[in-house]
Amino acid sequence: MTALGLAARWVHLVCGLGLLGLFSAELLAGRSERPTALRWTARIASLTRWLVVGVLASGVLTLGCQAVIVAGGSDAIRDPSMWLRLLTSSRFGTVWLVRHGLFLLLGVLILLRERERSRADAIAWRLEGWALGAVAMAAMAWAGHAAAVEPLGGIALLSDALHLVAAGTWLGALLPLALLLRAASTEAGADARPYAVLAIRRFSVLAAALMLVIITTGLWNAGAEAGTVPALIGTRYGGLLLVKIALLVAALALAVANRRLLPALSGDGVTVGRPAMLRLSRFIAGELALALLILGVAAALSLTVPALHESPRWPLSFRLSSDAVAASPVIRARLFIGAQLAFLGLLAVIIGALIRNKRGLVIGAGALAVVAGLGIALPPLAVDAYPTTYRRPTVAYEAVSIGHGMALYTTRCAPCHGAGGKGDGPGGAGLAKLPADLTAPHTGQHTAGDLFWWITHGIRASGMPPFGETLSEDERWDLINFLRALAAADEARALAPLVARGRPRLGAPDFTFAVGPAPSRSLKEFRGRWMVLLVLFSLPESRSRLDQLALAYREIEFSGTEVVAVPMDADPRIIARLGAAPPILFPVVTEGAAEIVRAYTLFTRTSESAPARHTEFLVDRQGYLRARWSPGSAAPPTWADVKTLRAEIQILDQEAPSGPPPGEHVH
Amino acid sequence: MRLWRAVLLMNLALGLGLFVGYLAWGRQLVRLEQDLAAARQQAAVPRTWTVRGVVRAVLPQANVVILTHEDIPGFMGSMTMGFAVQDPRLYEGLDIGETVRFTLTGVLPNVVITAIERAGGGNP
Repeated sequence: MTALGLAARWVHLVCGLGLLGLFSAELLAGRSERPTALRWTARIASLTRWLVVGVLASGVLTLGCQAVIVAGGSDAIRDPSMWLRLLTSSRFGTVWLVRHGLFLLLGVLILLRERERSRADAIAWRLEGWALGAVAMAAMAWAGHAAAVEPLGGIALLSDALHLVAAGTWLGALLPLALLLRAASTEAGADARPYAVLAIRRFSVLAAALMLVIITTGLWNAGAEAGTVPALIGTRYGGLLLVKIALLVAALALAVANRRLLPALSGDGVTVGRPAMLRLSRFIAGELALALLILGVAAALSLTVPALHESPRWPLSFRLSSDAVAASPVIRARLFIGAQLAFLGLLAVIIGALIRNKRGLVIGAGALAVVAGLGIALPPLAVDAYPTTYRRPTVAYEAVSIGHGMALYTTRCAPCHGAGGKGDGPGGAGLAKLPADLTAPHTGQHTAGDLFWWITHGIRASGMPPFGETLSEDERWDLINFLRALAAADEARALAPLVARGRPRLGAPDFTFAVGPAPSRSLKEFRGRWMVLLVLFSLPESRSRLDQLALAYREIEFSGTEVVAVPMDADPRIIARLGAAPPILFPVVTEGAAEIVRAYTLFTRTSESAPARHTEFLVDRQGYLRARWSPGSAAPPTWADVKTLRAEIQILDQEAPSGPPPGEHVH
Repeated sequence: MRLWRAVLLMNLALGLGLFVGYLAWGRQLVRLEQDLAAARQQAAVPRTWTVRGVVRAVLPQANVVILTHEDIPGFMGSMTMGFAVQDPRLYEGLDIGETVRFTLTGVLPNVVITAIERAGGGNP
């Protein structure tokens, strides 16, 4: 079924884009009364008829395949109501109807061809045909991956539509031009030679512009659907994209070679002009073959999940990381020298392409310099990588997961890595290589996928055992989330009652909570709209502070901040214990408190060892932890006076968002 | 007929088709608006909701009970909110932190609590 769907899409693309190009080729060539030219136009007319039939038939087939995909079984083919539903109540159906309506109209237009009498007729017919075909093909963008791009969806649609129209105008014109050249290269077709040469000259200019459009829009689309290097080389979609680009580069090389033949076309008679025409017609046919292959890949891409939505599988044993640059001045110097050399080499290659004398020498030297420059600059940046390096965590960085991870850590990891992650557990003492200090800054330089690989497969040289058999995948991600929280907790020691300026780095782990029977909410839901004052409290110590917050709640809420109070003993009857006076109206968590406390206690540690009984965190609108206060730390400034707290809230309120919200993965 | 005229006619027909489609879309919008108005009319009649909530405060001087409640379909989402009470006897002996099932009656947005029923024990 997939093979059939793929074939249908390919035929549809070939016929639809081919139609577009037949009209553009005829537009370029113009009208001529010479017998060979007339024969050529008649041949194109019959081709257009076949292509319209092909595009409509493959369109129906595509619709059928879509029906099967949507219904999830091949019975749908025989069910008319399924077809009707697909057509009338899906975006795919609407676009399909509009497009095939336009193709039907195009069919009618083609039947009218015989009425062509004057120049005006010819131009009107060709322009109309091209325009109908262009709109029908451009509309495909609205039923493809581009329609799902967020944000900048409008640009994605426009770019995809332009890509389709430009591609059609270019590759569809290849076949008629090859036919024209072949006809003109024979003895009998000598009368159409000037006509053919003019057409091919015009096409050469147009094709250069079209290529520019195809490449720009293509790169934009690739960026929108793949985005990153790991996604490009680590997923099926990315691989197909690379194949498509390689084929296009080959077609471009052929096109450049073809351009060089152009001057010879107008050469004289039998010896120069005619052989050149025949050769050019063959080269163009070669270009066409490559174009058909490209369309095959494009059809496969339209049926493949875009790379952005897949977890890449990294195929190399290393990756380039800029983390090493900051560490060593030697590496910085190598990077600088190598980059300069590569840049000069690139410049030499470009200059070499433009000059005539000693071209080979200059380009060769330039290429050598590029290779040498990259050879100097890149090796120090390479760090070990594994197939899972860019795998995305399937378990979100949230309190429940961190709690699970913490429990797993205590039983599985703490014996060697130590209870605090310092690598000082008793089990690690006898090992050849001491267990890693998991709180050291280097932990943050590994991707979550790296950690996942080590936990799954172990590190043979150091005695780290594999856990792939004993822990489920979710459990391993829980562990990684805990390690991330552990590293973050180390950084959190710097949190103070005063908001630190500059780019925030500490993402607040997400959590869900409920107050009584109200539906549960998550911290993430506040993002973009509310700041959150997260209060971990214990009775009776926190009593007076809660009263203070209760009285100030209206003002705090008015400045765009929600207060979420979490009892550290996780008592579900906590609201009753808090009592009636003064009325506390902010959310007091009765469900989910234990998980929140377990995860956030990691962040309450300051220099003193005893965990605080009452801690308040300020989370900004993007979801970063920005300030912290505990009544124990007596040094001013303190939030004991609510005015100080409100001043900090005001700073956060007026701050412009810097950078993206915290991601789900380590880094 | 000359071909270029035929082509022109075809484009005119296409444009006309677009225009008709646009009109049809407009008619659909008008119908939607009518439906909406009808729905608003319906909302003007008294309605009743029974939802669960946890008592956060009782203000006898204002005759109001403040609850953190579930979603009230067609009225408001879950939040902490004060509601006027029809009869002060309804909140007699009500404790803070108690989970209750309460009934709201009235024409939006003027609703009052007409019944409060203890949902058993304290919190779930």
